[in-house]
Amino acid sequence: MIEFNDVSKIFPNGTVALENVNLKIEDGEFVFIVGASGAGKSTLMRLLLREEKVSSGVLRVGDYDLTKIPNYKIPYYRRQLGMVFQDFRLFDKKTVYENVAFAMRVIGEPTSVIKRRVPTILSIVGLMDKYKNFPSELSGGEQQRVALARALANNPRIIIADEPTANIDPKMKMEIMNLLMKINSKGKTVIVVTHEQNIVDYFQKRVITIRDGHVVDDRIGGMFEENETV
Amino acid sequence: MRRYNIFYFISQAVKGLWRNGLMSLAAITVLLSCLVLMGSFSLLVYNVNVNIEDVAKLNEIVVIVDYEATDEDVEVLSQKIKALDNIAEVVYISKEEGLESERSRYEEYSYLFEEIAEENPLPDVFKITYEDNSRVANLVYALGKLDDVNKVKNRTDIANDIESIKSGVSFIFVWFLAILFVISIFIIINTIKIGVESRSKEISAMRYIGATNFFMTTPFIIEGIIIGIISAGVGYILQCTLYDAIFRAMSGEYKMIAVAPLADVQTYLLLGFLVIGVIAGMIGSGISLRRYMKV
Repeated sequence: MIEFNDVSKIFPNGTVALENVNLKIEDGEFVFIVGASGAGKSTLMRLLLREEKVSSGVLRVGDYDLTKIPNYKIPYYRRQLGMVFQDFRLFDKKTVYENVAFAMRVIGEPTSVIKRRVPTILSIVGLMDKYKNFPSELSGGEQQRVALARALANNPRIIIADEPTANIDPKMKMEIMNLLMKINSKGKTVIVVTHEQNIVDYFQKRVITIRDGHVVDDRIGGMFEENETV
Repeated sequence: MRRYNIFYFISQAVKGLWRNGLMSLAAITVLLSCLVLMGSFSLLVYNVNVNIEDVAKLNEIVVIVDYEATDEDVEVLSQKIKALDNIAEVVYISKEEGLESERSRYEEYSYLFEEIAEENPLPDVFKITYEDNSRVANLVYALGKLDDVNKVKNRTDIANDIESIKSGVSFIFVWFLAILFVISIFIIINTIKIGVESRSKEISAMRYIGATNFFMTTPFIIEGIIIGIISAGVGYILQCTLYDAIFRAMSGEYKMIAVAPLADVQTYLLLGFLVIGVIAGMIGSGISLRRYMKV
């Protein structure tokens, strides 16, 4: 479970990025986080990744209290998360196979396990036939699928996708979202940060709306409309 | 706990070195120059010490007799010397014996000695061995006061002169080497930094995957160590070649200067080079990675 209790984040220059955020995301949930640029979505993500420390309040993810976690434990905490970025952040000089395998190597998985698991994950995202290709040889949608495969490599409990459909063509957007749904159906918590209203409306999942550092709406179904009362 | 594969780290380090070939080469060149200079200086100091010890070990004073002194005068002088305090042994070497001794020492130039045999320029000398080094000044003074003594040569003075020259040279060299060492580290820092910068995207992605600092930094530390080891290896070969050439030259031409054979020093040289090279490499990598150690 992910739990924000009165979480605020104030940067040293005085900018209040998040203020008294209270949220609870249960294990296995699928959640959209929406909001305009500068609303505080990125800060929320950075807090979840423990790239930033909360200024006040308590943030818990599973057994980890991110307000108290010592630095040396952060990499181990992050292994519970699978990150997907809008710019994919793949390793350009590594093949599809190596990109996924690398995520496992990073945490010290033995080669025998890597050899067994990578093909399985690539089959899940439908890229087994392209395992020898380099990222530059793939379309945006395919690259994002590699990023998803890499995020899944270490069997994380939570998948966090930051604008996963932003840089890919419309046809592929649904494919990526369907893949995320499929991952969610296997019991993993999926958090998708997005701007795309049609996607949010289409899937009818929980939508958390952030504006000016506050959670202004939290509902199942479509996107929060600006003309609705807060 | 899962274990990381050391071969993976080494392969990454080698790739890094290869990728930044020119900078790696610059780092190796500067570090090995620094090591060779450091080695040359250390060997110089070592050999100066060997010579100082040789000189000091002799416990010897040489008294040069006046050219005009007759055989009787020399006999009287010999008695007077033997009567002095702190004397262990007195050996008289006549000018003829001195010439013969030099002739056998420099056999290859014996023709020169033929020419000067008629007008022997060497003086009669007394070689005096003393008992107590702390009272040598008194003995030298007393010898200088005796009649028919032209000059008193005390080897400890020579040793002291060499020692003071050595201290002066050491001071300059230590600073010079410190500067070179800092330059080597600076170049290693830059070499590693370029590698880190070119892989910053990769490093940031690794961080999100859950890579530990150990995993991210070890290849760069190994890269620094490899730079150190290569520099030490090449530097050692250069140093040995150089030293051996000097040793051969010195033992052939200047027999009066003792040069320690290469075999006496090479183990220490290799160990020293390796330790300094590896430490420089590690310091260089460590400094350049410091800002990437954040979580």
